[in-house]
Amino acid sequence: MKLKVENIIVKIGSRDVLKNVTFEVKEGELIALLGPNGSGKSTMLRTIFGVLRPVKGVVMLDGREIESVEAAAKSFGYLPQDTPLTNLRVLDVVLLGRTPYMSGLRRPDREDYRVARKALKEVGLKDFETRSLSELSGGERQKVMLARVFAQQPKIMLLDEPTAHLDISAQIEIMEIIRRKVDEGKAAIVAIHDINLASSFATQILMIKDGKIAYAGKAEEVITEENIKDVFGADVSVRRYGRGVYVVPKLKPTGGKKRVHVICGGGSGQKILYTLAEAGFRVSAGVLNALDSDWEVATELGEVVDEAPFSQIGNSAHEKNLEMVEESDAVILANLSVGWGNFRNLLAAKRAAELGKLIVIDETPFSQRNFAGEEAEEIYREALKRAAVVTKTEEEVINAIRKLLGR
Amino acid sequence: MKVATAISILLIFNLAAILLSLGVGSSGYDHIFKIISGNADDSVRTIVFEFRLPAMLLAMIVGASLSASGCAMQALFRNPLAEPYILGVASGASVGAALAVSLKIGEIYSRIAFAFFFALFTAYLVYLIGTSSRFRDQTYAILLAGVAIASFFSGVTSILIYFSSQSMHEVVFWIMGSFSNPAWEKVYISLPIAIAGIAYLLITSWNLNALLLGDEHAIAVGLNVESYRKSLIAVVALLTSATVAVSGVIGFVGIIVPHTMRLLVGEEHQKLLPSTILLSTAFMPLIGLISRISTSGNLPVGAITAMLGGPFFLYLLLRRSV
Repeated sequence: MKLKVENIIVKIGSRDVLKNVTFEVKEGELIALLGPNGSGKSTMLRTIFGVLRPVKGVVMLDGREIESVEAAAKSFGYLPQDTPLTNLRVLDVVLLGRTPYMSGLRRPDREDYRVARKALKEVGLKDFETRSLSELSGGERQKVMLARVFAQQPKIMLLDEPTAHLDISAQIEIMEIIRRKVDEGKAAIVAIHDINLASSFATQILMIKDGKIAYAGKAEEVITEENIKDVFGADVSVRRYGRGVYVVPKLKPTGGKKRVHVICGGGSGQKILYTLAEAGFRVSAGVLNALDSDWEVATELGEVVDEAPFSQIGNSAHEKNLEMVEESDAVILANLSVGWGNFRNLLAAKRAAELGKLIVIDETPFSQRNFAGEEAEEIYREALKRAAVVTKTEEEVINAIRKLLGR
Repeated sequence: MKVATAISILLIFNLAAILLSLGVGSSGYDHIFKIISGNADDSVRTIVFEFRLPAMLLAMIVGASLSASGCAMQALFRNPLAEPYILGVASGASVGAALAVSLKIGEIYSRIAFAFFFALFTAYLVYLIGTSSRFRDQTYAILLAGVAIASFFSGVTSILIYFSSQSMHEVVFWIMGSFSNPAWEKVYISLPIAIAGIAYLLITSWNLNALLLGDEHAIAVGLNVESYRKSLIAVVALLTSATVAVSGVIGFVGIIVPHTMRLLVGEEHQKLLPSTILLSTAFMPLIGLISRISTSGNLPVGAITAMLGGPFFLYLLLRRSV
């Protein structure tokens, strides 16, 4: 089974809603259409089904064009965007999916009832037959509509935002029901707004922009910060996990051009650096040994004063660190462990304290993370005494900076 | 309620309605028994066969046509308050009848003909305006066009009535709807249309279920919504035009009866439509009977149904499940 969409152009009024769209779908594929509102996702589905006719190009299923609505309803299970509200019983709604197979007076026969009941079972609503559609929850109603689509025994499902307005568990359930059906040898084209949901369920993603396929491919290839910026005009960070990707919004900068220097190491600065960067501060960190876990984060987010791996902080690194401290609007001393190797970081913190811009995150008692003896203890005590703000947790860091910067 | 139970109750109800409307009247309550037992004289025969029987049949035809049409319109517009007159046929027919009278061609059959064709013309006009391509939601546009044209035509009717005060109380009475002055000819005119139209609705009742889901969903299950809507509107226009021409404007039947059955048998049209028709063929003759025996003259049937319709609306409103 193969659906070919070839070079289609679709006009609504005088506007080209789809411009030269070409793609193919085979069984076992779950294609997600991603794109902003009005980009042409619904139009694509409606054109494939045949509600809209392309002015140019063809839609072919197994090498043939589909002529009538009835023939289309046997091959395609089209689920429009809005879920109906009616007092029809659930089974009667699902039976409507058998319409294209009924002839003459259109009275459902035994086979129709069997298929409809099986479809209801597949969506997990076996015992809902006699309930009225209007008394179900949004998620249940959408499952009934999916059962209606299944009852049509389509080769390809065309689903227009099947998860819209549903809670997270219903969204996942619906997508799983769809995927299970696809695994039985069907295919699905799903218009969807949730990028994360799309990337975890789709075998392929088509990103639509202004009626064209802007990017196509597997989630991890297509879902990138640049592509999302291009298609949706939104600033997001894309993170990878296992086989998928997920997208989180970049917070709108609130820190202006203020610069914050973080003295950290051994992982004590990661979260602080991310939080600051997302809040829009320019960040720097130092002195960090290269390949330290904080170093990796800091190099990604801003400037770093670094030292060779596992070496003591040398003169030039220390000088540079002091420069950074001078240039910053605030300096944060993270909850780091101090040994002889990074002892000089304490001196940099002391300088910041003298300049009145030190924020100390004093979470673990210093004695437990001091491996540099009495001298370090004393400098730390001094820094703590003269610090502008002292907080007990990392979470308070943004507030601490605002307090310091007087905003 | 089980369908078989509902249907048997409705059939009994129908039988009772037949016996009552043929038997009971201001001239006595035992006419039907006299006829059955063979003791009827000519005047009784005339009363029953020339007046009560055609009046009853007319009431049944009108009831069935209006309630079946109402049922279809409520599905088409997905609006529980949609009624057969939504296409403007009532106001169109009124203009036609008033025109016939004021042009002094107010003889009964020309009035029926005028009313009928004006009603059809109005429905066509409403459809034409509603489906002009500038509207995205054509169903909704038809609804609004119907309201607009109905209001315009009722204005025209009022002016016609105002300028020919003498002969017009007849038209006013006609507008209020009645089964008085029954004539077999009226039955002959309206019966074939009613049978054909109602048969069409019954045969295609599955499609009405599909329409309940909305146009897109109906198309998705393979229904050619455009052409079905066209023929549905044509059939309803014919049915209601024919009834309004022979009986005047009888409102609310198209809402009261379908909704009562909806509460009892549910929304599914294979059950809803036949049971609606059966209820109306009992309900309408009984209303006719009330109109006939309540005073020495005939109370307008439309007035009685309207007085029932108001409280019924409130009931639906308070029940909140419309």
